[in-house]
Amino acid sequence: MSLSSRTVPYFQAAPLALIFLAFFVTPVLLVGAVSFFDYQTWDILIPDFNFYNYEYLLESSTTYRTYANTAKLCALAWVFTLSIGFTIAYFLAFHVRTVPTQIALFLVCTIPFWTSNIIRTISWIPLLGREGLVNQALVGSGLAAEPVEWLLYSEFAVILGYVHLYTLFMIVPIFNSMMRIDPALIEAARDAGASQWQVLWTIVIPLSRPGIAIGTIFVIAMVMGDYFTVDVLGGAKVASVGKTIVNELGYLQYPPAAANAVVLTLVTILLIVGLMRIVNIRKEL
Amino acid sequence: MEKRRGVEFWVLAVFFALFVVFLYGPTLSIMVLSFQGPQGNLVFPMNGFSLHWFRELFRDQPIGDIHGAFGRSIRLALIVMGLTVLVSLLAGLAYRRHFIGSTALFYIAVASLIMPSIVISIGIGAGYELLGWTRTWYTSALGAHLTWTLPFGLLIMFAVFNRFNPALEEAARDLGATGWQSVRHVVLPIIAPSLIGVALFGFTLSFDELPRSSQVTGDVNTMPKELQALQTNTVTPVIYALGTLTTLVSFAVIGLSLAAVAVIRSRRR
Amino acid sequence: MAHRSRNPLAQRFTRRDFLSTSAAAGALTITGAPFVHAQEPVTLRIAGTGVNAFNELAAKAKEEVGINIEYIVLTSDDVVTRAVTQPTSFDMIDSEYWMLRKIVPSGNLQGMDTTRIKEYDNIVPIFTKGELPDGTPVARQGISPIKVSYLTDQVSRAFATEPTQWMTLIPTVYNADTLGIRPDLIDRPIESWSELLNPEFRGKAAILDIPSIGIMDAAMVCEASGLATYEDKGNMTRAEIDRTMAVLTEAKRDGQFRAFWKEFNESVTLMASGEVVIQSMWSPAVTAVRQQGVPCVYQPLKEGYRAWAAGLGMPAHLQGRQLDAAYDFINWYLSGWVGAFLNRQGYYTAVLGTAKEYMSDDEWDFWMDGQPAASDVLSPTGVVIEPAGSVRDGGSFWDRMGAVSVWNTVMDEDRYMVRKWNEFIAA
Repeated sequence: MSLSSRTVPYFQAAPLALIFLAFFVTPVLLVGAVSFFDYQTWDILIPDFNFYNYEYLLESSTTYRTYANTAKLCALAWVFTLSIGFTIAYFLAFHVRTVPTQIALFLVCTIPFWTSNIIRTISWIPLLGREGLVNQALVGSGLAAEPVEWLLYSEFAVILGYVHLYTLFMIVPIFNSMMRIDPALIEAARDAGASQWQVLWTIVIPLSRPGIAIGTIFVIAMVMGDYFTVDVLGGAKVASVGKTIVNELGYLQYPPAAANAVVLTLVTILLIVGLMRIVNIRKEL
Repeated sequence: MEKRRGVEFWVLAVFFALFVVFLYGPTLSIMVLSFQGPQGNLVFPMNGFSLHWFRELFRDQPIGDIHGAFGRSIRLALIVMGLTVLVSLLAGLAYRRHFIGSTALFYIAVASLIMPSIVISIGIGAGYELLGWTRTWYTSALGAHLTWTLPFGLLIMFAVFNRFNPALEEAARDLGATGWQSVRHVVLPIIAPSLIGVALFGFTLSFDELPRSSQVTGDVNTMPKELQALQTNTVTPVIYALGTLTTLVSFAVIGLSLAAVAVIRSRRR
Repeated sequence: MAHRSRNPLAQRFTRRDFLSTSAAAGALTITGAPFVHAQEPVTLRIAGTGVNAFNELAAKAKEEVGINIEYIVLTSDDVVTRAVTQPTSFDMIDSEYWMLRKIVPSGNLQGMDTTRIKEYDNIVPIFTKGELPDGTPVARQGISPIKVSYLTDQVSRAFATEPTQWMTLIPTVYNADTLGIRPDLIDRPIESWSELLNPEFRGKAAILDIPSIGIMDAAMVCEASGLATYEDKGNMTRAEIDRTMAVLTEAKRDGQFRAFWKEFNESVTLMASGEVVIQSMWSPAVTAVRQQGVPCVYQPLKEGYRAWAAGLGMPAHLQGRQLDAAYDFINWYLSGWVGAFLNRQGYYTAVLGTAKEYMSDDEWDFWMDGQPAASDVLSPTGVVIEPAGSVRDGGSFWDRMGAVSVWNTVMDEDRYMVRKWNEFIAA
């Protein structure tokens, strides 16, 4: 290879690298720096180097409760998006026979994704409210004596919102992985007498692992950073780290918000590094 | 595969149908609610039936600037879309060969994806603040959106090039094509449908982006921010009318993209 | 024009008629000094919560004063954030008075020259003297506007204790807030703030999630129910904050609150949809609920009201033509049309005399004097919101503003309070 062709990749990767440097690496380092700043109600950024913000954060039992609750929301959202997403992807990949039908059904799943997330989140309210459609149906049909309260402004509503918004992010990568499974492999297993379940457990699931991992990363990242869904569907009663940070920003408490953001980032990265150990995303896409 | 559809198929088909109902339920309910009468509210019951809120949508709102915000978000999404396609394509090409720092850059991209969006927004905002720059939707917000769309674009490019048969390109080179020619005439046509996918992703992710925009849009709002702020003081189904329209528009856009893919496919034959 | 003038003072100037007939309407500032705007009209970006950011108002300003008004609608939190961190992203700010304690120390506001405000002497003395027009002092607990109305100098980060030539904000709207209730779902009289925590309404009460406002509601409730006592509710000690938050947290754990809201619309939806039957509310929100045919009462309570006020301020960067245009706009704002427009929303405006000129007698009697409506009361969009014969909840301007017990606030212990509030929301 000539020298010039060896430098080509650098030019090709440069725009990406520069954008990330300017709008990602630098800002995140700044957040790290600000987390050591001091502040007052009337002077929001006082350059300093103290651990006060971290001390306060790590000493408060509310912090641990909030993180525990965020972890719970994350885990539940993950379980539901994964089980639903996997099932849908499995259906599309192995039971829908023609490619046009596959594409059509796939699009059916993606179209709601085009309506603003904000509008889609708000649109649960008329369905789930005390006098909403679901409760009217429940009470009308005699299934419930009085309106069910926990349908809205509860953790249930928040999880429902997450599943509604994010299942697609599971379906796409898992479907992608499943399509790469060689049909001959499955046929061979069948010929060898494997049951449907055995095929699922020994071939489909292991080979869908990369897709599952990527979908998991999407879902975890989005749930960890969410503050809108939890606010609207949780009636601001459900604790989450994202919401705490946004509140702190709203009250002009930048340094504590930054400290909280740093901790949230570390937790998220630890989770995902754990996942990356299981699969090498780059190779298996 | 066997010709007869088994029990498993029907169970899964029903599951799929239920999932679609779940996906579309709220969308349908807001479609219905967007036809509320002029006295209508954001929730059931219906208070009359009219096209009032669609008319309102196209008129000036009593409060806020939906049209301006919509226009900005469309323009921003188009810019983000273009840059995402270009930059991820280039990076995708780069990653087909080894270069120093490739692993680090990849991890940075993944980190950008998983970093809670609000953190990035604070960081960019603070950076502009320190430098004394003015935040605008076409600078700081554009950057913030790219940190969200580019990792998606890059991952899709990896998926594409992992399956790309290098023999095709080698054949082109053997026939005397330059690097650029082989990209232009061999690689691009083959990956064009995926690039449309990247474009769609870039557009939608940007158009809908709220948390990364939160601190960085400057003096005027993008559409999601406007919608969030409008909750402050409007009690109207106008936002539902908007939801209904965007859903219909997305049907149209997806139809067009499919047509584009079909055209590309047929030309390749 | 339909309105009749009953205020001789306001009649000395028929500026209104002049403005509407003259093509060069925008050419005169109200101070009388001729000031010709160049052909290209000045644009003012006004950032605020949208409480009074009506496009109809902007259109009228364009027509009468020749200024382009661009409203930037923000959430309450964002208003403070913008003012402190991005002061150049707007040309005027529509801020609440309590926010000033956070904004003014940043040095991002400039004092407004009261000699350039034509109606300055007619501004309700709540803002200029700290008293009602009849001379009785206004409640001082919390950020009573008089505490933050004046700066020591045009360029200053400090509030003046006595009126000076330099005003922080020119008041736009203010009101006395109380609990809103659903009379159809609560079949007994509600008389005290303590009812908000009454277990009878478990799961059907709501409270504001804006600390500077929510803490005052909470304090009214705690004091009314004897759960806490305060030296000054508007400036609590740490112990008082702890006590108040403990009461709230306990109520939250018991499931008292259906939701916490930050935005006007959320409160309307909560109430109209029957999610909540008792909650702290804003007056126009009650009107909005009623417009949907849902009964809702803005219940006066024996402990009094929690009041708030908002006003227009100028960022330090404003100068030249834009600065002049901002004064023109404020003078126009106080000249009556806007006042009438906002009074009809259920707010109160800064200069009552000029607003009265633009309201019919019936309107004035209903909105301001607390008398039964002689004819149907219409909203600014022409919808009937009160049938003839109804009386405004809480009565007249004097009855309501005279019964204010506390103002929205920023305390000395703000940093501590906000952290505690955040913990309460997360609890």
